[in-house]
Amino acid sequence: MFELKEVGPGTVRLNGRLDASQAETALNAFRRLEGPLTADCSGLDYISSAGISVIVETYRRLKAAGKEFRLTQMQPRVRNVFMYSGLDRVLTIE
Amino acid sequence: MVERRFARDVGSLPDIVAFINEFGRSHGLGEDPRFDAELIIEELFTNLVKYGTGTTSEIEIFLARDGDALTIRLRDRVVAPFDPSQTRGLPSGDELGPLPGGRGLELVRRIADDVHFEHQGGISTITVTKRIPA
Repeated sequence: MFELKEVGPGTVRLNGRLDASQAETALNAFRRLEGPLTADCSGLDYISSAGISVIVETYRRLKAAGKEFRLTQMQPRVRNVFMYSGLDRVLTIE
Repeated sequence: MVERRFARDVGSLPDIVAFINEFGRSHGLGEDPRFDAELIIEELFTNLVKYGTGTTSEIEIFLARDGDALTIRLRDRVVAPFDPSQTRGLPSGDELGPLPGGRGLELVRRIADDVHFEHQGGISTITVTKRIPA
């Protein structure tokens, strides 16, 4: 199960698993948010390409609006998926 | 080798994860190889669901561990063969890499040590080998 929780102005916390079965739910949750946005990923245990696509869509939308999108505190295994996708060089991951 | 069949639907993913975890516990898989197995299987399974149109048959998933080798096999009765080793992601036209679909198969190729595909008698079989700490 995936959860996106707003924890403060412009800050959300991601929890659980962002896989293909959760991608649509996640995308709808992200689309309600305006930037600039910081996503605390410390509780994100798993991500697949379907989840990566949600993050990429959000990045594209906010970038087009001139807003920043930062991903923070990513677990190493989740970060590796971004690295294997070559997106660690494009997205702001701290 | 253990085997289970799953309905051709992304809604099967939680059951697939439970299957992998059950196998992982009984075969001493650590968290890293379990994560990799989940990722490889999700990417292949969702592509079979997406591209295997014209069939409602279940998809079979086999898992086996032999020392430092984890074998993952998916079998699917399909009309048109789907060969992940021949599929490349379509470029999105910007710095964000291939379009969805292609990105997942690129991930499988990055993580796996070997990906083998065969199509015989109307059955597509994808076999992935992943080296893991013994």
